[in-house]
Amino acid sequence: MTRSFVALLVVAAALIAVPFVVVNEFYLNLASQILIYALLAVSLNLLVGYGGLVSLGHASFLGLTAYAATLLYNWGAGQVGAAIGAVVFSTLAGGLFGLLALRATGIGFLMITLALGQIVWGIAYRANNLTGGDNGLRYPARPHPFGLDIAGAPQFYWFTLAVFAIALFVIWRLTRSPFGAALQGARDQPRRMRMLGHNVWLIQWFAFVLASFWGSIAGLLYVYYNLFISPHAISLQQSAEVLLMAILGGATSFTGPIVGAVIITLVKNVVSSYVDRWNSLLGVIFVVVILFMPYGIVPGVRQLWARMRKPAKPAERAA
Amino acid sequence: MQFWIVQTLNSIAFGGLLFLLSSGFSLAFGLMRIPNLAHGGFFMLGAYFGATITYYGGNFWIAVLGSGLGVGLIGIVFERFILRRLAGNVQGQVLVTLGVSFIIADLCLMIWTGDPWTVPAPSELRPPIRLGGFAFPTFRLVVLGIALVIAVALYVLMDRTRLGAMIRAGVDDMEMARGVGIPVSLLFTVVFCLGAVLAGLGGTLGAPMLNAYPGLDADMLPLALIVVILGGAGSLLGAFVGSFVVGFLYNFGIALFPDLAYFILFLPMVLVLVFMPQGLFGRVPS
Amino acid sequence: MSTPALEVSSLKKRFGGLPATRDVSLSVMPGERRLIIGPNGAGKTTLFNLITGDLTPDAGSVRLFGRELLQIPTQQRVHLGLARTYQILTLFPKETLCHNVVLALLGLDPMRWNVWTMLSAKRHLYDAAREALALVGLGASADRTVAETSYGERRRLEMAMALAQKPKVLLLDEPLAGLSQEERQQVRDLLGRVPRDVTIVMIEHDMDSALAFAERITLLHYGEVIVEGTRAEVVADPRTKEVYLGE
Repeated sequence: MTRSFVALLVVAAALIAVPFVVVNEFYLNLASQILIYALLAVSLNLLVGYGGLVSLGHASFLGLTAYAATLLYNWGAGQVGAAIGAVVFSTLAGGLFGLLALRATGIGFLMITLALGQIVWGIAYRANNLTGGDNGLRYPARPHPFGLDIAGAPQFYWFTLAVFAIALFVIWRLTRSPFGAALQGARDQPRRMRMLGHNVWLIQWFAFVLASFWGSIAGLLYVYYNLFISPHAISLQQSAEVLLMAILGGATSFTGPIVGAVIITLVKNVVSSYVDRWNSLLGVIFVVVILFMPYGIVPGVRQLWARMRKPAKPAERAA
Repeated sequence: MQFWIVQTLNSIAFGGLLFLLSSGFSLAFGLMRIPNLAHGGFFMLGAYFGATITYYGGNFWIAVLGSGLGVGLIGIVFERFILRRLAGNVQGQVLVTLGVSFIIADLCLMIWTGDPWTVPAPSELRPPIRLGGFAFPTFRLVVLGIALVIAVALYVLMDRTRLGAMIRAGVDDMEMARGVGIPVSLLFTVVFCLGAVLAGLGGTLGAPMLNAYPGLDADMLPLALIVVILGGAGSLLGAFVGSFVVGFLYNFGIALFPDLAYFILFLPMVLVLVFMPQGLFGRVPS
Repeated sequence: MSTPALEVSSLKKRFGGLPATRDVSLSVMPGERRLIIGPNGAGKTTLFNLITGDLTPDAGSVRLFGRELLQIPTQQRVHLGLARTYQILTLFPKETLCHNVVLALLGLDPMRWNVWTMLSAKRHLYDAAREALALVGLGASADRTVAETSYGERRRLEMAMALAQKPKVLLLDEPLAGLSQEERQQVRDLLGRVPRDVTIVMIEHDMDSALAFAERITLLHYGEVIVEGTRAEVVADPRTKEVYLGE
């Protein structure tokens, strides 16, 4: 039993216990929201942190899935059909977007993902007959996974936690897999990787597809949570928020985006209850983080932790 | 027939406005290699400044100049105190302009509220010019005229002055330019400020046609992006031609297919980015 | 007449107005030890870049064991048996030496597309990596990060990565540059131990240090082949002295 495994068990137990401690439904729902955005941020980080590809259009996968699920369900596909169809649709879109976006790197990649995200937003906003335009669409009811009722806040929280845990585990395995190593290698030295036999373009495209897949899963959770989808959820601002979560928490670490999601979601909800200026604050946090904390919180804290432990050693030897 | 003439004129006038918006954007993009995502915000600020000055009784032309200066000042401060700290980190700079665009949009919402502000065109320009049985909107022709004058002025600046030569050198080859002793950071500030001034001027000039409203920035930025992508970053001629092409596409597109407005804007942009990325972004071919 | 391991025919490349490679042709037989020399700017690295596919030639062809490489992307050339080290080190600085070699091994292994297994569990990869490191004398440093190693050790790491792939044709771009006398001897010994089923083509700027290694030498200057022949022939040739003295 390693120390990290024990820590993980403690965290898991704490997370499972949340609905017993947090009785207030508003905060319990907030916890579910945090999990959903954490998953979205972790999926984006496959691209940003592990792949070195900064995308400003990731919220579109959340939106594509949510809209597709709603439309499919309304067209009679049933819960399971709608869910599968939506995720497949959104992931295929990810494949297409990846093909387009990877024609460039760096700023070019950023601009193309920005443009693609805006196209998705524009369609959602304008195609009134299909998407309800600015009014959005309503998702009729939460599903019954394995016959369980997740309409209530605690049940939905546990459902989301379960999906989140599974997703996180699979993504974690991916980052530690041979593919994960190749992805990071391609981020650091693409020319070198090519000269070692790795197909850098294919690696990055595959990562893009995987990121869109997990973003789609977050999209399903999102539409089950809100029972509603509107263009706002796929605005540039939303994509920027998710990116900020990844960067703020620390794109170079696995847990960074989760920390970022917790912070941003909490701040956003708290601030929004008092004042309408969340957008300004988002912008300010963006600027501050980029200027002063480009590596994010988790790596910063880790460094501090490492530095705090070092001075103990000489004293131990002396004693 | 009147419809087509009016739309054509609107398109040309809009093209002139777009030139004011995108010329600065293009120069900054070409020289500093960053798309200033707050540029739409600069334009919107210009519109709001102009609206406020005229609201308090100021002359329209004073409002135009005032907005230009006001936004220019904001541009200098932003470049000097934020962008410059991130020198060399192009990605960081782009993200920071994104953050600032959110701040500008929200502050404008807070200060000027959600209702659109109208700016009346100067009264002497309101009566239409009558020619050959048709009525031509005078103000729009004047806007076009001003845009053309500024275009010529920019051309002279770029082609005939030392400053222009330095800018062109920087756009062509930054390393070389530094090597020959061109003061690159000063150049950055000048170009960025110039872009902001032009955006501010454009915002007020355009206000009688477009109004000042929340979301103006989000409507204008993609247009500037498309102009630069079509015309090439750092190219004044490209910005000039691109502005009128986009002006036509946008105006006729909105008039004929309002539902597809976003597609009409972004699809060409994606297509150009995808099929001709080398000119702007250069991925090393493998 | 057997097929050359590497055959370059009438290769041309211009950069804007500058001809970097002017009609270069050369033929390296399997198992040969070829040295390409020439002053700075002679176009040696450009030639390597054209062979690996980092650059596309304006004209001419590159053949690996008779197979035309022109339309084949770089990573696939590696799968056909080509390997290369770089003049400017392009290693993975935050990773251990072991991990660097593992990445090289993965390049040719279908396992590189596996998204589920834990890489750390693949002991055979790590063992093979350690073996490759031991061959270049870095066995003891396998678990140190690249940032913690010296320049000479990094050069040897580059070589370990290339050799670990058991290439058919190995391109070495100035492998002795920046090394101390002792380190140079280490590298020369190492190269001496490489089996004959690997064809080696080496670029060196400094002829003296690489001389013992070479069986045949190609002298490049201003993108053209000036002299080519056995070591003795090239050393004796008056044009060689001209090229180097004219510097």
